[in-house]
Amino acid sequence: MSHVDDGTLHAYLDGELSPAEVQGVEAHLAQCPACRGRLDEERALITRAGELLALAGPPDRGLPPFRVGDVKPATRLWWKVRLPLAWAATLVLALGIGTYLGSGVEQRQQPETAADAEPARPQALESPLSSERARRESRVKLRGAARTPPAAPAAPAPAARGETQMAVIPRDTALSAATPARAPAPQAAFGMVDGALVEKASPISLDSARALLGADPLAVPGAPIRTMYRAREIGYSALVIVEQALDSSTVIEVVNGRRSPLAVDVVAVTGAAAPGARADSVSVPERALQGRARIADSLAAAPAAKAAARALRRVDNLEIRISGPLPSDSLQKLLRVVQPVKP
Amino acid sequence: MGSSAPQDLAEVYRTTYRALVRFLYRKVWDAERAEDLAQEAFARALVHKPENARGWLFIVAANMARDDARRAARERRHLTLLTAEPQESALASDEAIEVESDRARVQAALDELSPRDREALLLWDSGLSYEEIAAQTGLARGAIGTTLSRARRRLVQAYEAGKPGEHVARG
Repeated sequence: MSHVDDGTLHAYLDGELSPAEVQGVEAHLAQCPACRGRLDEERALITRAGELLALAGPPDRGLPPFRVGDVKPATRLWWKVRLPLAWAATLVLALGIGTYLGSGVEQRQQPETAADAEPARPQALESPLSSERARRESRVKLRGAARTPPAAPAAPAPAARGETQMAVIPRDTALSAATPARAPAPQAAFGMVDGALVEKASPISLDSARALLGADPLAVPGAPIRTMYRAREIGYSALVIVEQALDSSTVIEVVNGRRSPLAVDVVAVTGAAAPGARADSVSVPERALQGRARIADSLAAAPAAKAAARALRRVDNLEIRISGPLPSDSLQKLLRVVQPVKP
Repeated sequence: MGSSAPQDLAEVYRTTYRALVRFLYRKVWDAERAEDLAQEAFARALVHKPENARGWLFIVAANMARDDARRAARERRHLTLLTAEPQESALASDEAIEVESDRARVQAALDELSPRDREALLLWDSGLSYEEIAAQTGLARGAIGTTLSRARRRLVQAYEAGKPGEHVARG
């Protein structure tokens, strides 16, 4: 039999060979002093590499409590996204808007998971977690067995593999505290839309959104739609919020509003306090739009309002706004490319 | 398969959170940032309920760390334009400095590895099996042993090469 190569030795020492392979390796080792010598060297190498990695570990802080209820619905996640990430997203946007325009509607319904998890990759990791853990534990045992020479008792395991100990940490009360059977469906929540508190009701389907608005809701093409919400706001007979993920960490809200015919622009005109705006020939709704856009811009420019930059546009009977953790010029660009969502 | 139920995710959290932080830390080299990203990854897992939470978490974490590194690189360029503030580390103890320099040397040694070797090594050190590493890196299952042996050898060599002589350091 030919000598055992380095890769196989490491797999052997890592406890990652099949029983048949282990037999083959051990049969060879039994009659090959050279490979036994190499086995010791590789074992030392693995230990040393583990020690070095342990030097470069994060400070060991406790496990923060994890409660399902602690996690806010996805709708709110972007409020926590730090502004620098938004800049990264801006860059992606600037480069990608052309692509978005070119890419068809069919991409739109992809869940965000696909963007995150690289859809091309086949999931080879399908074993249930429990058996997975059992397998890992057996691997650890194998590892220990492979590492520890029979004569030398209990060499200390490298600190870097501490996760094996984690499995026996007593159950954290916060964790076990009767988590509900499922993560909470996004519940009614409040979001800041156009500076006003808007009540978000429960998620709705595309069909319902269409029925509410009397038209296809508009969204940014190419960006996966996470959820659609029905919302309420004074001055609108219908309001649908389409939540889209631009990238793994940036979520925007495209607000589709159908104006209430009776309450024409009451809210908007209050906001549009630009003097002299009434004197020109611009129609009332347009003036309102301008006023709002101005406010949006000034808000976006002010550091204090960085999280809530937004933009506004009217398409047919719908008033479209986009809010998200992006600079106002990016939002304006996005606003220009919104298209009706088709099923 | 019920593997995505919240109870199971809580279990994954208990067994995987620290490994995920460690994995992220060696990519962003900032403990708080690593913890933020790990929390964020779990928050997303709650929303997405992936079939295989553990594998999913590491893939998402790797993506987030990559985005984060790009951002950090951009910020560093900005920071060089600002006048440097006095380093707090001047007040740090000798011991802290030593720990820090060890860490920096390992970081430098890790930088010497090819991205693929480094990824495989960090994933292994975070407790992933060969199978999981193969799934995440796109390498063949049978190539992981060779990849790890190369990565370990390179890491140790690069570390020893970058290490100043002990007697000089103590002078």
